[in-house]
Amino acid sequence: MSTYALSPTVAAPEVQASRFRRYQSETRLLVGRSLRTIPHVPERLSDVTIQPIVFTLLFLYVFGSAIHVPGMRYQDFLLPGLLGQSIAFGVIGAGVATAGDFSSGVTDRFKSLPVTRLSVISAQVVGQVIEQVLGIVIVAGLGLALGWRPDLDLASGAALVGLVLLGLVAFTWFGVLLGMLVRSSDAVQGLGFAIVFPLSFLAGTFVPIEGMSAIPRTIAEWDPISAFVASVRRLAQGTRSTGSWQLEHPIVSMVGWCLLLMAVCVPLALRRFTRMSS
Amino acid sequence: MEASPPPAVRARGLTKRYGDLTAVDRLDLEVAPHEVLALLGPNGAGKTTTVRMIATLERPTAGTLQVCGHDVATDADAVRRSIALTGQFAALEDNLTAAENLTLVARLRGHPRSAAARLVDELVERFQIGDFRNSLVKQVSGGQRRRVDLAASLVTRPDLLVLDEPTTGLDPRSRQIVWSTVRELVADGITLLLTTQYLEEADVLADRIVLIDRGCAVASGTPAELKGAIGEQRVDVAPTDPGSVDQLASILAERFELEVDRERRSISIPAPGEASDLAVVAALVRDSGIEVEEVALRRPTLDDAFLALTGHEPTTGADEHDDEPEGAAA
Repeated sequence: MSTYALSPTVAAPEVQASRFRRYQSETRLLVGRSLRTIPHVPERLSDVTIQPIVFTLLFLYVFGSAIHVPGMRYQDFLLPGLLGQSIAFGVIGAGVATAGDFSSGVTDRFKSLPVTRLSVISAQVVGQVIEQVLGIVIVAGLGLALGWRPDLDLASGAALVGLVLLGLVAFTWFGVLLGMLVRSSDAVQGLGFAIVFPLSFLAGTFVPIEGMSAIPRTIAEWDPISAFVASVRRLAQGTRSTGSWQLEHPIVSMVGWCLLLMAVCVPLALRRFTRMSS
Repeated sequence: MEASPPPAVRARGLTKRYGDLTAVDRLDLEVAPHEVLALLGPNGAGKTTTVRMIATLERPTAGTLQVCGHDVATDADAVRRSIALTGQFAALEDNLTAAENLTLVARLRGHPRSAAARLVDELVERFQIGDFRNSLVKQVSGGQRRRVDLAASLVTRPDLLVLDEPTTGLDPRSRQIVWSTVRELVADGITLLLTTQYLEEADVLADRIVLIDRGCAVASGTPAELKGAIGEQRVDVAPTDPGSVDQLASILAERFELEVDRERRSISIPAPGEASDLAVVAALVRDSGIEVEEVALRRPTLDDAFLALTGHEPTTGADEHDDEPEGAAA
């Protein structure tokens, strides 16, 4: 016979830890939950592993053979582009994961537990950023193996890492908000590919913006992802881009876009999250 | 002894509107400590919305709602510490194992790692999860999922357990397993609020049933009271030849009080003895040599209950909130 008798032999812990300590440990547990699912569904990582590898190989060896960028090797042009694109694709990954959690009811479970609301949403962001970083490392590693020669010193290297992380965090918040608003993984995927995909191609990622015809060139000149790509290119290769203010000042623009994105998305996401709950 | 605890649920004029649609309409509801209350109603009656407000997942538009003495509007965190919710859709991480899901909830409830491990072992034994404790939740059956979900709700003994349609969509065998688990919890003195569309489920599990329709409580009482008002189970006999209805009725009338509906060729007999009455009727019919199309035991349905208690059929399908709890929160 079971001796469980519903009054667990393990007493319910009195919550004594400070709010901040609780927030930290809850966030850590929830990030752990998100990362622990990866071995069970490795295909979930395909958008940060296989996809960038395919893109790198496809553009380096297939399309790249017909693309000539004046004054630089195609590897050195392409890799910063791919890194910028990877940052932007974080929206899709974060959106799909968030929408999935909300539609499956697992978020409801977390929210009906005495868990800080902020930790549920922070864990979503942190978990996603970790996954995206993995993708970035894969792209950069593969690029280096295939002949990418970034020209980095300690300062510009640190700046590059910081900039990439900032971009990932901002786009992940955007994705989390999108996932909460749309609430269907398939719809987020569709929306992501309809908007982010073309914008990430227009951004001077694979071919120089200067060579585009008028309409795509105008879009590209103001596409936020162009600022990402141009920033990475400026830091990694010292390339100066021209065409619009943001292309001439890519780093400032990129930081600005990220801060703007977070200033809009973070409060909206938090508000959305608490309004859907209490 | 200590002062008597506050009611587990105390709702006054509880209302939830989504735009023009009123999902819950001035609902008064009280669940006493150690009571098992079933909220019985059709899809779209407002059951899930009510449960979601109790679980602090939705904010009431109007009215007051206290759960275990804590106001949901001002002290949601205390409410969350007092209750456990098992929703209509088992809220588990599909891509973790049963044991990993339980561990996560135990840790989030604040148990340290070693205590959580012991607790999970206990829950696995108690809810007979051993066979699939290391299987991914997405790979186990619907009934097994519900058991894991129930176990997750009982990581700490809640002052109020809320089960939202615990057996909707389950096969009869899984339903029996969930019922027996819930009965054990009830025998253990847990306070339970249960929503269901099945009269039988409310009858089997609850001390008291509140009938809900279009967000309003339309009747309430013990299962016996409600069944008394609805009427007994009946055995219906349908002779193949309409001309033999009277002949068969006169044979059966020697043993039973009955109602005859000639237009529908049906003889209806109250059957408080359930299967034994059915057997007697069947034997009489066989001995009479009259050919029949059907001899069947009919249990009163949710529709019968509504008809008997409110004079109208339940409103179904009018709103989607019970189907899609996430559907229209705005």
